[in-house]
Amino acid sequence: MLSNKTIENIKKTIAKYPKKRSASMDALMIAQQECGYLTEEALREIASILDISTVQLNEIAAFYTMYNKKPVGKYHVQVCTNVSCSLLGAEHIVEVLSKKLGTKKGETTPDNKFTLSEVECLGSCGTAPMMQINDDYYENLTDAKIEEILKGLK
Amino acid sequence: MNLLKKIFFIDFIKGLSLTFKYNVSRTITMRYPDEEKWLPYQRFRGLHTLNRDSQGRELCVACELCAKVCPTQCITVIPMEDVGTDLKSVPRGISDRIAKVYEINLVRCLFCGFCEDACPTTAIRMGRDYELACFTLDCAIADKKKLLTPRDIPAEFEGGFVVKAKFIRNDEGIKVKPDLSKKKRWW
Amino acid sequence: MGNEFVGDKPRRYITQNSELITIFIMATVKINGKEITVEDGTLILDAARQAGFEIPTFCYQARLSRLGSCRMCLVEIAGQKKLQPSCVTPVLHGMEIFTQNETVKTARASMLEFLLANHPLDCPTCDKGGECELQDLTFKYGPRQSPFAERKRRFHEKDEILSPVIVKNHNRCIHCERCVRICDEAVGAKALGGIGRGAMLKETSFLNKELDCDHCGNCIEVCPVGSFMSLPYRYKSRPWDLVETDTVCPFCATGCQLTIGTRNGSVLRVRSKIETGINKETLCARGRFGYDFIQSEKRLTKPMAKKNGRLTECSWEEAISQAKNKLSSAKKIAGIASARLTNEELYLFQKLMRNVFRTNNIDSGSRWTDKRTTDALINACNLSEGGTSIFEALKADLIFIIGSSISDENPITDYLIRTTAADKRKNLILAYPRRIKLDSSATISLKHTPGSEDIVISGILNALQNQAVKTDGSQVSESDIATIAQRMKTASTISIFLGTDSLRFANGKEMLLGIANLAKALKASGKNIKVMPLLDRCNQRGAWDMGVHPSFLPGYKKTNSDGMDCTGILEASSKGEMDAIYIIGEDIVSMYPDAKFAKEALSKAGFIIVQDMFLTETAKMADIVLPGASYAEKEGTWTNQEGRLQRLRRALQPIKAAREDLSILSSIGGFEYKSARDVFEEIRKEAPGYQDISFDSLNNTGVLVKGHGAEKQGSRGQGVKGSSETKINPSNPRTLEPSNPYLDDYPFLLITGNHLFHSGRLSQKADVLKRLLPESFVEISDKDAAALGIKEGDRVIVKGKHHEAVLRVRVKQGSLKGTAFIPENFEDVPVNCFFKKGEGIPRVKISKQ
Repeated sequence: MLSNKTIENIKKTIAKYPKKRSASMDALMIAQQECGYLTEEALREIASILDISTVQLNEIAAFYTMYNKKPVGKYHVQVCTNVSCSLLGAEHIVEVLSKKLGTKKGETTPDNKFTLSEVECLGSCGTAPMMQINDDYYENLTDAKIEEILKGLK
Repeated sequence: MNLLKKIFFIDFIKGLSLTFKYNVSRTITMRYPDEEKWLPYQRFRGLHTLNRDSQGRELCVACELCAKVCPTQCITVIPMEDVGTDLKSVPRGISDRIAKVYEINLVRCLFCGFCEDACPTTAIRMGRDYELACFTLDCAIADKKKLLTPRDIPAEFEGGFVVKAKFIRNDEGIKVKPDLSKKKRWW
Repeated sequence: MGNEFVGDKPRRYITQNSELITIFIMATVKINGKEITVEDGTLILDAARQAGFEIPTFCYQARLSRLGSCRMCLVEIAGQKKLQPSCVTPVLHGMEIFTQNETVKTARASMLEFLLANHPLDCPTCDKGGECELQDLTFKYGPRQSPFAERKRRFHEKDEILSPVIVKNHNRCIHCERCVRICDEAVGAKALGGIGRGAMLKETSFLNKELDCDHCGNCIEVCPVGSFMSLPYRYKSRPWDLVETDTVCPFCATGCQLTIGTRNGSVLRVRSKIETGINKETLCARGRFGYDFIQSEKRLTKPMAKKNGRLTECSWEEAISQAKNKLSSAKKIAGIASARLTNEELYLFQKLMRNVFRTNNIDSGSRWTDKRTTDALINACNLSEGGTSIFEALKADLIFIIGSSISDENPITDYLIRTTAADKRKNLILAYPRRIKLDSSATISLKHTPGSEDIVISGILNALQNQAVKTDGSQVSESDIATIAQRMKTASTISIFLGTDSLRFANGKEMLLGIANLAKALKASGKNIKVMPLLDRCNQRGAWDMGVHPSFLPGYKKTNSDGMDCTGILEASSKGEMDAIYIIGEDIVSMYPDAKFAKEALSKAGFIIVQDMFLTETAKMADIVLPGASYAEKEGTWTNQEGRLQRLRRALQPIKAAREDLSILSSIGGFEYKSARDVFEEIRKEAPGYQDISFDSLNNTGVLVKGHGAEKQGSRGQGVKGSSETKINPSNPRTLEPSNPYLDDYPFLLITGNHLFHSGRLSQKADVLKRLLPESFVEISDKDAAALGIKEGDRVIVKGKHHEAVLRVRVKQGSLKGTAFIPENFEDVPVNCFFKKGEGIPRVKISKQ
């Protein structure tokens, strides 16, 4: 169940758009901020607020990698693996991270601290390879840099 | 020269030597069905078999391509879904689609082997059984159970020779059971 | 010239002096060297197909929005470097298009190669194998080899079961999204979506969970590959084994064409053919999956006669001779035939009753009480004036639907209306107390108190004539009525769709007269008006056309003396006056709105003959039971609600010893008809509207029946002569108005009707449909549920004055407060027990268990 405050926020955002369903992405983001990830109930509730079918909301949530479909750890490590990053070794970065964190991509460490995921372009191609941990960007990654960043988080 | 030949019965001896040669050579009369049986080559097209994979699962997925390609339309296949009773139960086939009914009308079959060619899973093979006679027409339809029964001659067994065999005659018909270990060249 | 846009292609404009002008803009294009002139804006694909060139497609589907994703339809346009998708590119004047050159051929082959890169080659185990579009096109255009060595995408090992009728294999999906679009745009269920991105996109339900949708199976029908499959048909057969017979759906009166596939005498599936019939490729759940009643074990297979108070099997000769004797010796006799029989059977039935047994006491159906109301419907819809194509009716600027839960009663009509209403310039006005699926497409949806339709109609009529509008007792706001009247004033063509709900209510007649007046008033102001009936039984219109009615002969000719309608027959019977009643295919005890009365009445009848497929509640009371045939087992014709005559074709022989109803009627009447064709020849002579139709030339489109040229019926005394004569006084004291719903004894008004998965009691015998909805329910609005503290799925007691039932609750958002709905289909919840003859709409109390 979404809290009243969240529902209020969603209703406020709806006012910004000409149509209710246009607020889908904002509404999903607001709900995610509350729950950490998009639960089934949250999706159902938002769909009924926006007056669209649940599957249509599900389509949006599933398309964008910024919406979490599963619970995530304290630090959500999101590595961009789109073209620019990929050319500059994003796959290697994922491998290094996966080894360091001891978890596979798409999974969370047993202590619920780190979640490693591959995401679509984060719009920082000029500083590739890069990753985003929670809301912060970490750019021009190297093995050494990753070590340093992770140390800072533990 | 001619005279010499006549004096020494050359032609006569030549003729007799052929006779004596055959007299001591191996006999070519096959004592079929009482003691021996001709084991056909692998390419032989006899009674069909339905095969299983190494884990014992039926290879047939009831796609009905054999029935479709059959020029005499002697094959009837009715598929069904193999719903395992529980999770641990071993599936009967390699896919969840298996044949509920698989029948070949042997009276109509002309043993062309198209079914074998059409089969995507090598489930149906033309076997090497050729004793298909029986006393009633019941045996004219080979059902799935019969087709799935392992045959006396395994598919990988090379053929093209005669083996010792035993003649069996019972209510179901006649059968000549080969003893694969005792193979004989017939020429 | 004004530039107000009023219609679709051809473009119509209204000039400043309100003249309507139509402009066709044509374009001449060259396709593969052949010149063709088409309307401007035509898609290249359509133009090429018109010119006779084939272009393969996957994602293109007529009447759905264009996607242009499969890229199979790429064509070369002179002067453009890249190939263009012809299904989304309109023609331009002077365009030169190539659809068959080497570039295009290579492109097609490569597209197929890409599709096959991820498509598993499990055709041998795929149910679609043999009728798969991907298979066909690959054989026709495709490369015969593939250089791809990568592993194919694989979502799962086992197919996923999405509903009791739909099974999904994501591995085979080629992302054409036809399923998603048909679910959204035609069916309106919006239950499917593309979840994920890129090659890993899954076209599936919400979170890939069990579907809670209409279970119509249209996604299965449109799927070009074996991604969506039918669960009842799963691994039953290969398409080439099936003998397919084109026939007509036996449930509602939309009259959808369907194709029955049988193998070795058993029905394995029903499908709809693409671009066939008025339904095109769509069907609803009951049409597509409600076929297993044909071979149900519960079918009657032998005639039965009552011996020592028990029904025991007997021979046909014995049953027929006994029936014949009893019917001919009876003094007062009556007949009720189901509106699911064919025209030929109904014609023969009325001929038997009228010519042989000399009675006009015949009626079709028992679910409506009042003959005068039925006559008013026949009159309001001008049924005697021949058929109107629904496609013509849907071209109207304004569509007004009243008295029908159309999404449940006539699902395909609902689809057709939804697809046309997607045009936002069109007005769709829907009046029904419950919230139904079509509400989401409606411009205005009125939620009026059940039974207050007449107030709504007279309100609109008054508003049109600029008089004061009073809507007391209907819970409809006066401003809504005014808006509707305003919209009607501006529209130039209006189609009114009339449901059968009005026939269930006591004051339905006033509403129907109001509709007739409304149509008249609108016509007088120069508008083009069409009034279409929305009927619930496949051949209800045919039954009236054939004269299975106490006061008309075939072709709506008046009888010399009026007979009794169903209520009349039952009343006479309850007094012990009926010596014999002949009932065909009608379950009076279950359908008549007062179960107790119907049962009592029938128990006092002298002799009852029931001819049916199943041992219904009525058949249990019979003295003789004759096993009839199902729709798949007979030849004949049906007339749908539009007045379209369509042909039924036999797919099977009648089950065991059952016989075709036509031959039973012939043997009772001593007629000598060899086939349905012979009877049809006679119908052509008797019913003028059928005169020009030849039985053998009836194809999948059917033929609209012409006008019968008979004088108007039902106009005795209170007829439609002018709006002034029949003005309804809306200030009449009404008893309908629900007072405080939570204090009253019986606060809820109970409305009944067919559920989407069922039609009458017939579909109850179809096990697959039973699986879709295993038990009955009571539907109330969200406001009532909140006030009573009831949640979806709770068990409640529904208590009426005469009956009580324990049911699960379904909560519907947006339904009218104070109304409850229970489907009339369930045998274990005989909803007609709540009714009492003469009391009108029953009121019930709902409380927690």
